[in-house]
Amino acid sequence: MPTSPSKRSRNLINLVSGSLPLQFHECLNSQKYAILHALRNMSDIQLENDIEDEDDMDRTNTSTSQNLDELLCGTVERGEGNSCLLLGPRGTGKTMMLERALSKISSGDSPPVIIRLSGWLQQNDRLAMREIARQLREQTGASFLSAEVEEETHDRDDEPNPFIDNPADDPETSVAEPSPTHLPALIAVLPTLSRASIVILEGFDLFALHARQALLYCLLDTAQSCRAGANSKGLAVVGLTTRVDTINLLEKRVKSRFSGRILRVAPQTINYWRRLTKAILCVFVGEDAFTDEEDLAQWRTTWETRVQQFLDDKSTLQTLSETFSITKDMRMLTAVLTSTVVTLSPEAPWPTSSQFLTSAEIHRVRPLYPYLHNLPYSAICLLIASVHAGTAGYSVVTFDMLHEYFRDQVRSSTAAPVQINGGSIGMTFETLVAAKIFVSVTAPSWNTAKEFTKYICVVEREDVKKAVDKGGMIPLKKWLNKAQ
Amino acid sequence: MASNPLLYHHHRLREVSFLLHASPSPFIFINDPISPRMTTQAVLGALSSTTSTTISMHLVHVNAVTCFSARLLFDAILNGLAQWTPSWEEGCTNWSGPNDTRRYNESLDAFLRGLKTLYSFLHHSDSNLPRVTRFVIVIERVERLKDRLPDLIVPLTRLAEMTRIDVTIIFVSSGRWDDMRPSLGASPDPYFVDISIPTKEACVAHLCSVFQSCQTEPNLSLNPYHPALEGIHASFASILCDACFPFTNDPDELAYAAAARWPGFVQPILDNHAMERGKDDSNLTERDDNEHLFTDDAMLVDDTHDFVTPPEEVRMRLNRYFKPSITAALEQLYPRFSNAQDWADANKPSPEALEIVFPVHRVDHLSKPRIGVTVKEKPAEPYRNLTRMSKFILISSFLASMNPAKSDLRMFGRGLDEKKRKRRRITKAPSAKIKSGPIKIPQHFLGPAVFPLDRMLAILGALLEENDNDDNFRPSKIDFSIPGEYTDMEVSRVGVCSTIIDLTSSRLLHRTSPVERLDGPPMFKCGVSYDVVLGLAKELDVPLQDLLWDSL
Repeated sequence: MPTSPSKRSRNLINLVSGSLPLQFHECLNSQKYAILHALRNMSDIQLENDIEDEDDMDRTNTSTSQNLDELLCGTVERGEGNSCLLLGPRGTGKTMMLERALSKISSGDSPPVIIRLSGWLQQNDRLAMREIARQLREQTGASFLSAEVEEETHDRDDEPNPFIDNPADDPETSVAEPSPTHLPALIAVLPTLSRASIVILEGFDLFALHARQALLYCLLDTAQSCRAGANSKGLAVVGLTTRVDTINLLEKRVKSRFSGRILRVAPQTINYWRRLTKAILCVFVGEDAFTDEEDLAQWRTTWETRVQQFLDDKSTLQTLSETFSITKDMRMLTAVLTSTVVTLSPEAPWPTSSQFLTSAEIHRVRPLYPYLHNLPYSAICLLIASVHAGTAGYSVVTFDMLHEYFRDQVRSSTAAPVQINGGSIGMTFETLVAAKIFVSVTAPSWNTAKEFTKYICVVEREDVKKAVDKGGMIPLKKWLNKAQ
Repeated sequence: MASNPLLYHHHRLREVSFLLHASPSPFIFINDPISPRMTTQAVLGALSSTTSTTISMHLVHVNAVTCFSARLLFDAILNGLAQWTPSWEEGCTNWSGPNDTRRYNESLDAFLRGLKTLYSFLHHSDSNLPRVTRFVIVIERVERLKDRLPDLIVPLTRLAEMTRIDVTIIFVSSGRWDDMRPSLGASPDPYFVDISIPTKEACVAHLCSVFQSCQTEPNLSLNPYHPALEGIHASFASILCDACFPFTNDPDELAYAAAARWPGFVQPILDNHAMERGKDDSNLTERDDNEHLFTDDAMLVDDTHDFVTPPEEVRMRLNRYFKPSITAALEQLYPRFSNAQDWADANKPSPEALEIVFPVHRVDHLSKPRIGVTVKEKPAEPYRNLTRMSKFILISSFLASMNPAKSDLRMFGRGLDEKKRKRRRITKAPSAKIKSGPIKIPQHFLGPAVFPLDRMLAILGALLEENDNDDNFRPSKIDFSIPGEYTDMEVSRVGVCSTIIDLTSSRLLHRTSPVERLDGPPMFKCGVSYDVVLGLAKELDVPLQDLLWDSL
């Protein structure tokens, strides 16, 4: 803690007439900036070492990280051919772990050629090949695709110069999709490069869906047949996936080429979440933003106290553990904290558990239609009409049907404030369709009039009831209650 | 339009703006169920109005409606970020990098590469300051992407991690993210921002801000958007919102209705002012006839100096007089049956409005105050000039569409005894077995059903025989012995077929079977509504209600 003890004893900042004193506004702003910055760069955060630190999950991840480091090290330094799969649920830090390992390797003597592929982008082997060739060219400065069949022999003796800027080869090379027959030749180039190469496959399970798994076969086969000590450099294939049964997706010939090394990444524990929350919220504000050092010290003391109060609050802890039990995705924590921090203002400068809960509710399991009770009168009427239709046993509704229910109701009740002629209610219905509250069950057709298209209402009866109760219009309530 | 973008739902947008200037999530989803267009404008306004010394933000706004193909989307994003406008003289080329002529719209890979190139290019060009270059891509109406380019949603949401640059993508939609979320958790969850439904106060404030933005410079003469009228406009906005809130709370729609009604609403006040001034002027000129103190220019400047806000009672009369017309305006304008200008022209307040609102000007005693909407001009009756046969064909096609085929014999059949069979509805006997499954929806809720041409011709025959068998009009030369034979001949004339074709081409009948199909009778569907048919039936004296199986 850089804050000195003498300054710690200073008084806390009090709100003046419900707002933060003016000189601290800048402090609050910088604090918010700092926290948001920390949330984006979570891997840089150093946690205090606790005794509880040494739990199972952490140990798993530590050993996974070590294994990954060793594997990459073996490829880069000893020229091994390796393959492994990083497996773990969403948001557990697979990518972060890999990036850390890569940055460690890249800062060494012989930085490897890194090729990144993503299953979402390279949806077939031809796209993947083009991307490989492009990234190779960017990193080594030589072209491999235009005529690599002929050049293959050349590649061995005259090694591509990594310092050459983009050679002015014709741009069409990168645009044309290569023929799939060139795939083995292209992949075979990888161990012949002057540096070791690492191929990263994000969304590994999606590559298993490619035709005949040709890319995976070539990559894994090349990695397997990589002989250490020979004239070639190493090749590592690292796959990232969340899918547990990925290995079963592989064909037999592919699976036999795969080393079978599966490194598991486990989600963090609730303790870790708690400590991380604290570390992030207590991140320090840079000094240069302030002129008055005393103010800054006072701010820091107050902020830390408030954060501690916030974290000690029972309901905060409950919200945190509830969120944790719903998803262990780290990005959820990030989003909830971001939302909490962003809403801080000079009027309410300290994080509170209620704000934390609100943020969690927005991001956790989102309520279906939180705004239902705020909809205009006619929209609520349409919803009630659809409830009536449901009670009458109709599984689908058409606008004409709802309109008739509505008309009947307006006729029979004297309290309806809405005229029924005109097209406004139809427009309201269109708004509801746009908000996907009514979902069309038939394909749109040019010879069906709009009012006769069939829809189902997504909103449940209970939700309509709640919305009507909240809206507090007695005639509507009565009308809804008629649908028993 | 969005004169003051932060006025409405501002604190949410302040958060977004703050977030984007600090360290934003790579993917933000803004859900506004009512007016996503306005939210987008407000976001853009908020972002472009704040400048930062440490971040050079490059902002692009893309509408998914216009970018209906991947290439258009890629081009729009890259051109927008690079602030590149394709010009005709240069062959309308897209932005193509600092020094080469690559294409970045060919595929997703190329697009990502273009984005990276652009990023490093812009980063170097403003590298004289230690600044962070940040891309912000705002995509409006994302629900269209799901329909049109579903493959692009995953890459767009993962843009930051795929390109490894500082880029934030913002989706604005009236739908929910859950409705467009790709399967298998392919996209990371966004940072959600929910825009709440505007309250009445927010809408009134928005209307007032629109009013202010309409003010013209210089404010010499008293026009409907003169600042002096602000107080009256505020009360007008309030009653407009009250009248329209049962139907819509979209601020844009309210502003549209207001634009149509306000000039008429304020007209009596302007007239009154003009008349008062006229009086004053005449007094003035009488008094100062010799001195000529005021030139015409001075008059112009002086136009509003003596404008006094009318008292509360006048306002109330004004409100009472015009309130019904506001709802009428919304009824016409919300579904865009008319446009604001035309509506305003058609509903100019009559001269009596002045007398009602300002009883001082009343010359004679009016019987009762009327409402401030002129008589609605009836739309030209498009069915008036149809031929008699066409009208019969429309009625019979409506009957064929609405009645079940099985009921035809019951409704139209005639025995040899010449006596029309009574229509008998089967009363539902309480059957022991309850059918499972959903209940059948009555036909009139489902709209017209498809019928074969032959069936319609048969019904047409029956209709004509019943309602059009006046012997005076029939040629007496030909002798028809069998009853109904003449009608039979009438129905099978070429004229009837060509009329059907005419009606089909004017979309009063819909042909549902393809034209080139030869086997089987062509299938049709009635294209006019019940109300229209009812009108036609009244005109032709056909008892439509008795002929419908399910009475409507």
